Amino acid sequence: MAPFVKPSEAELERRRTIQINDETVTNISSTDFPGHYPGEDNSWSFETFKNTFRVEHHYLTPAESSFSLIGADAAIANALRRILISEIPTLAIETVYVYNNTSVIQDEVLCHRLGLIPFTGSKKGIREFLRWRRKAEDGTPGPVYDYNTVQLRLQVECTRNPSAAPDEREPTKLYHHAHVYARDIEFVPAGRQADLFQAPEDIIRPVNPDILVAKLRPGQVIDLQMHMHKGVGADHAKFSPVATASYRLLPTITITRPILGRDADKFARCFPRGVIALERVSAAEANTPGSGYEGHEGEKKAVVADPMKDTVSRECLRHPEFEGKVKLGRRRDHFIFSIESTGQWDSDELLLEAIKTMKKKCERLEKQVINMVR
Amino acid sequence: MSREAYQVPTGSQAANPAAVGKSFDAYGGGAAEVGPQMQYLCGDCGLKFQMRRGDAIRCKECGCRILYKERTKRMVQFEAR
Repeated sequence: MAPFVKPSEAELERRRTIQINDETVTNISSTDFPGHYPGEDNSWSFETFKNTFRVEHHYLTPAESSFSLIGADAAIANALRRILISEIPTLAIETVYVYNNTSVIQDEVLCHRLGLIPFTGSKKGIREFLRWRRKAEDGTPGPVYDYNTVQLRLQVECTRNPSAAPDEREPTKLYHHAHVYARDIEFVPAGRQADLFQAPEDIIRPVNPDILVAKLRPGQVIDLQMHMHKGVGADHAKFSPVATASYRLLPTITITRPILGRDADKFARCFPRGVIALERVSAAEANTPGSGYEGHEGEKKAVVADPMKDTVSRECLRHPEFEGKVKLGRRRDHFIFSIESTGQWDSDELLLEAIKTMKKKCERLEKQVINMVR
Repeated sequence: MSREAYQVPTGSQAANPAAVGKSFDAYGGGAAEVGPQMQYLCGDCGLKFQMRRGDAIRCKECGCRILYKERTKRMVQFEAR
């Protein structure tokens, strides 16, 4: 067999760039699989992956994180995204027992709203102590124990505030409990939960205490109990640990011919701030024949400063003065992830948990494949 | 029953002599004329007060004629979905 052909660097660059033209997007499919290019070895190898794969962190807060996966296939990136959204378990309100609700918001709507409130608490308690609520053998919801259910209570009654000023118009000052917030929800510990979820750090509490649940007027009452269970986002969005988990491909901007003077200013304004920088044409450049800078020494020229900030609006492709001078694209194997947590998990833990889940799934698949060929 | 004998039923017992002595009160608590006490809410001032069958349908404080029954105390279960 003939030795494998190695493609040139320019060819590789072309293959990993998605071309963004003024009205079309081309070269969208990845081609790095065996048999696509004759004579080339494009089989997947762990060694190459280990050497080329990189993770770059951009910023990290408990609520939000952003990082780049470089050198991964879209399948991997998308699997991670989907696991983040729908397969990492969280605790959320699942059943509501309404004893009384005389507010204007209907029971069903109120319960739906309660379900969507994100809660947090002791990480150890939620992840290690609390387990799934199993179904009974006949398919009905299984029994409720302290290790699979968290009980909450919401009891509010709106009353008039006798000390309010006579000309007061603001309902929150005129009445007590005119607004019901998520912070009014109380945790009712059961069994061993009292030790695991202790105030103030570990107690089960809403992540955002200021979520408005309902509005009341004097005489109106809300009295209900809630049961929280563990679930996954595939079942209902309230169980999703992320507000958004998304990725985009790194934009590329290639200036093929110099953009100078007033055009450079206009070019910079076609992009979000910080993407294009303006520099002066140096003497060396002006003296290089064929560079396009001849006789323009000291003039402004546009250079690409930070393509990551680009939104790929393609505005620059609309103007005739930039025609043939710029190429837009995206890097096929550079995924800029952005994960926004709802608060039960920290955003950095989410990625690790997603990878853990993916590994588990792969192991399960591996077993099945082995069974298949046996 | 002949057409002449029929009388339009009204709330007042006296206007319907045929019904005197009979009670339509399913609860059967107390005297037949009085009936059980029920909690009502005034639609205007929000006052909670008790009323019996035959009482004037009026709020005892403000005289509003719109009254509400209280919501059942029975628990209702919902899925938070």
